[in-house]
Amino acid sequence: MEKVCLIGAGSTKYGKLEDSITDIALQASVDAIESAGIGPKEIQAGYISNVFGIADKQVHLGPVIMSNLGIPEVPSLSIESACGSGSVSFREAYANVAAGFYDVVLATGVEKVTHTGTEWTTTYFSYCSDFFYEGGAGASFPGLFASMARAYLAEFKATEEDLAMVAVKNHDNGLLNPKAHLRKKITIDDVMKSAVVASPLKLYDCCPFSDGGSAVILCSEKFAKAHTKNYVEVIGSGRGGSPAALQGRDHITTIPSTRIAAQAAYKMAGISPKDVDFAEVHDCFTIAELVDTEDLGFFEKGKAVEAVREGRTKLNGDISINPSGGLKSKGHPIGATGIGQVAEVFDQLTGKAGDRTVKDAKIGLTHNFGATGASCAVHIFKSV
Amino acid sequence: MLTKEEFANNAKLGKVLTRKCTKCGHHHLVTTYFCQNCGNKGFENAVIDGKGSIVTYTIITVPPDGYEEYVPYAWVVMNLDDSELRISGFMADIKSPADLPLGTRARITGYDQRGIIIEKQ
Repeated sequence: MEKVCLIGAGSTKYGKLEDSITDIALQASVDAIESAGIGPKEIQAGYISNVFGIADKQVHLGPVIMSNLGIPEVPSLSIESACGSGSVSFREAYANVAAGFYDVVLATGVEKVTHTGTEWTTTYFSYCSDFFYEGGAGASFPGLFASMARAYLAEFKATEEDLAMVAVKNHDNGLLNPKAHLRKKITIDDVMKSAVVASPLKLYDCCPFSDGGSAVILCSEKFAKAHTKNYVEVIGSGRGGSPAALQGRDHITTIPSTRIAAQAAYKMAGISPKDVDFAEVHDCFTIAELVDTEDLGFFEKGKAVEAVREGRTKLNGDISINPSGGLKSKGHPIGATGIGQVAEVFDQLTGKAGDRTVKDAKIGLTHNFGATGASCAVHIFKSV
Repeated sequence: MLTKEEFANNAKLGKVLTRKCTKCGHHHLVTTYFCQNCGNKGFENAVIDGKGSIVTYTIITVPPDGYEEYVPYAWVVMNLDDSELRISGFMADIKSPADLPLGTRARITGYDQRGIIIEKQ
């Protein structure tokens, strides 16, 4: 396999955006191409992740994006894997460069849903669940994670205030990120007093519905070395699956796909969780960050809550979790999120993360999943 | 093949229709074409009692389309007494966690436009 590197990354602001889904995707793509210092003609394939293009009357996004980049002849693949679409798409881009099919590829993720309103998004997102048992019995996505939260709080004697601390931390980080959706300092009290969405989760335990686009340029090591000194190496790539419905899992508070993907990625990279300096993890709800950081091996099962209480996951703590603000504060444009995480790692490892820089960071990890973790991808990156 | 209609008809009788592997005996709730445990292709239907206890749940206050009139309601996950399987579904009239401590005894009572219906025993 060829070594694969990142040479450029770009993102739009995440939030409520007026532009069309195509324009958002193109802005991010152009940003990444310019960041890489290449021309569009050097791109040999495009990987485009998106879930609800239908909401903005544009599916089959790949060829539309390639055409508007002036490279209509370049092949593309449009990929959907619910909220994990971006990381799953990144994996396909990675695998094709690693296999030697292409030297340079573009991976762009995009979502545009906020114009549809909360009822549409709540309803359509529920179609990402195992619908017969979950969405089709009245479960919303906050409801599914709330069910995980209730089980976690009972099993590990944690409290709703502990969950709130995750939101407070990620909002603190998001304040330092100019492209974050929710740039607002919050307190535990704010979280506890926010409206209940699906007990025990409240509004401030939930990430927002966001519009946004992110893009990265992947290439062979040979191309990267010939082209720039400021690049990042992809050293681990892992994927995994879980039973689609929560009822099919042995433990409600463990996401099997995360464990499988992480083990594969660590093995490929030849590192262990303690070697990771910072991680962008899938904190769609506060409970998810606790579960993720345990399943990724940063903490033992049930111990993530102590780490959060002690501030060990804050920016420049023992391990910085979600320095970008995470899905919670940076925002969650579902087709873009996994690519946005990779863009954050690129910025961190190439000295472009500004005030939210993780000091002396050499190794970063991204973790992004679809639905309640039915599909998952983990990637590990190293500065050169 | 385990169809939605067959499953619903059993749920209305308080039962859960499962598929049992003819080779290793592993139970499956969902429609699978191969056994998750041993990879065998053969299954027989096995109807089990829809009684159990609540493992976890949520109380929904911001509902998906079609559930507005039922708010607040619970979506619950239940351990079934007679197998290692769990099943989830809709539970009406749950207003606060005090209404449903974990471990509460429950049973399947039906299937309708709200999905699989589970009630407290």
